[in-house]
Amino acid sequence: MLGKEVKGGTIQFECEPMETIHVEVWLYGPLARYAGEQSHGSYAELHLDLPAGSTMHHLLERLGLPPEEKGITFINGNLAALPGLEADREVVLHDGDRVGISHRKSMWPFQYRFGAGQTPQLRETFRQRQDRGIHHAYTKIEKEVENG
Amino acid sequence: MGKLLRLNMTDRTATLQDLPDKYRYLGGRGLTSTLVHDEVDPLCHPLGPNNKLVLAPGIVTGTSAPTSARISAGAKSPLTGGIKESNAGSAFAPAVADLGIRAIVVEGQPQEKGWWLAYVTWDGNAPKVEFLPADEYAGQDLYDVFPRLFERFGKVSIAGIGVAGEFLYANSGLCYEDQSGRPARYSGRGGLGAVMGSKGLKFIVVDRKGAPGVPLADKELFEQGRKKLTDALMTHDITKPKGALNTYGTAVLINIMNEAGGLPTRNFASGRFEGAARISGEALFEGNKERLGRELYNHACSPGCIIRCSNTWHRPDGTEHVSCQEYESVWALGANCGIDSLDVTGELIRLCNAYGLDTIEMGCTLAVAMEGGLLNFGDGQKAIELMHEIGKGTPVGRILGSGTATAARVLGVTRAPVVKGQSMPAYEPRAVKGIGMVYATGPMGADHTQGYTIAPEILGVSGKVDQFDRDKAALARGFLEATAFIDSTGHCLFIAFAILDIASGFEGLVEECNGVLGTHWTMEDVGRIGKEILTRERAFNRAAGLTAEHDRMPEFMKLEKLPPHNVVWDVSDMALDSVWEGY
Repeated sequence: MLGKEVKGGTIQFECEPMETIHVEVWLYGPLARYAGEQSHGSYAELHLDLPAGSTMHHLLERLGLPPEEKGITFINGNLAALPGLEADREVVLHDGDRVGISHRKSMWPFQYRFGAGQTPQLRETFRQRQDRGIHHAYTKIEKEVENG
Repeated sequence: MGKLLRLNMTDRTATLQDLPDKYRYLGGRGLTSTLVHDEVDPLCHPLGPNNKLVLAPGIVTGTSAPTSARISAGAKSPLTGGIKESNAGSAFAPAVADLGIRAIVVEGQPQEKGWWLAYVTWDGNAPKVEFLPADEYAGQDLYDVFPRLFERFGKVSIAGIGVAGEFLYANSGLCYEDQSGRPARYSGRGGLGAVMGSKGLKFIVVDRKGAPGVPLADKELFEQGRKKLTDALMTHDITKPKGALNTYGTAVLINIMNEAGGLPTRNFASGRFEGAARISGEALFEGNKERLGRELYNHACSPGCIIRCSNTWHRPDGTEHVSCQEYESVWALGANCGIDSLDVTGELIRLCNAYGLDTIEMGCTLAVAMEGGLLNFGDGQKAIELMHEIGKGTPVGRILGSGTATAARVLGVTRAPVVKGQSMPAYEPRAVKGIGMVYATGPMGADHTQGYTIAPEILGVSGKVDQFDRDKAALARGFLEATAFIDSTGHCLFIAFAILDIASGFEGLVEECNGVLGTHWTMEDVGRIGKEILTRERAFNRAAGLTAEHDRMPEFMKLEKLPPHNVVWDVSDMALDSVWEGY
């Protein structure tokens, strides 16, 4: 920050508006390779600067992570997306957020997430479904699920 | 119809009875809980002559139903003081079923010291039992004893106890062999090993050679059901070959629960562990790959298991260390103890297997010991030393073998994460409140397997589905009921992952049962049967002195905010009691 001298000898500082946000990103299993050299093999912990206003979509682009590999996703410990229910695409990320992205062979069945936190976007997505999000699979066997 | 085999340990006699007609449609947990309810004085001393240990294969155990090789074990629990059912996957289950035995009831109590084994064979017409001295196996590592039993008796199946059961520890489990003969499958929870130990019985050895097998009332219907369930398991991403469980095992949940802020860490002080990723299912897979030079997928714990979620962990030199490192074990002995090494958790698990201990209760006890100052959080070496003390029965060992609640009392630790005296498993109730409701209200004490799935008709009717948002208690009740049913079938609970999504799989499960028993159950019977079982279990508990006041969470969880979400347990007592509305 640069200060400029004003009347009376005080220094007035002008802060730049925040143009970047800093996010912590955890990638699990095979997704660790999208962290390049920072991969620990079975996971990666990244600290990234993104432009303010970035969404999850922008984060994925920045990582080069293909949507078909993205699995269960968390934002600040709240469930944000399940494969087939990507309610997080347009969620805006904020400075200090922690994002966790797991691979397609992970799992979080209902009995283990019964009453756990969700993002508002996912909560709304579940609310609009007749099954209220009790299922685990929302992808290729979606037809069976809806008939079930 | 099948037989009841009674093993009377007072006079070492075996009696074979026809299964009473009123029990004809019961199996697994339905049968163990009903027999305990009907025959055990709820006020008896769990280690005295009036408790009984009941072992029952499931309704479809012994058939070609996939994942059906499971045995339920039940008794009055020395840990909770209430009713207990704990099941396991092992060839022991179909071996018992093949002999036409619907349940083994171990009763009475010897007056003299000495250890015995019951050797059960088929004599051409019926099961035959010989009681043989077993002192030569007492006080020893089960990894040494099991091979000697196989050498002596041949291709048999074993159910038995380690030193933990001999010492009557409340942390002791019942151990059975896995597909490679390791002493690695457990009816872990609730101290059932101590009940068997209190009756002087070290092992039940079953030889199924020549046995008649399980009859089917309607072979075609059974086949139809079997195929539907198999298709569901082979299709679903969690249960299919090279799916989540076959690749990473249940420990694939470590990273998920940790990210969710619901992985209990350092005696339930936090919901996130900084070392979690190093003890995850993904770390197990990568670690094995590095040490073996190839990818290793998981194996079946028992005959007919097509999910194959059991792993084998290897040492740096590529030799086998232990089978297996499951989510609950890795969490209890890892994150909850502040330990982030798979080599350390592997050794702790191996020692639990060797001594005959429940890994969940053991991990929570060690965490309380850490908070109580016997050792530091994260001190894997000292934890291993304490495990040896437990195995030797030193005074400190005996305290730690008595469970989380007792260790907390002795050490002055108020943060004892238990319900009805049993330690909580790997889901932090403050972060996952629905599971917390199951921990609190379920008859088994804090138990993550008693509320595993829900009957489909609850999902289908739109009016009831609206309940989810408003009435978690009703949902919890539905889960408890459907799970009691599955626990009676002999199937692994993990079929729940597939059949909750694939309705035809659930239909197949019911058709299998009808095919074996000749019944005409529908989906509605799933809830009805579950409710009957739970009603009996709750009646036993009430008579044993467990009231609604025991369906509660420990105080510290109501007061302490759990990071990272900074949440407390705030579900009202009224909401908890409404789980049992209609009972």
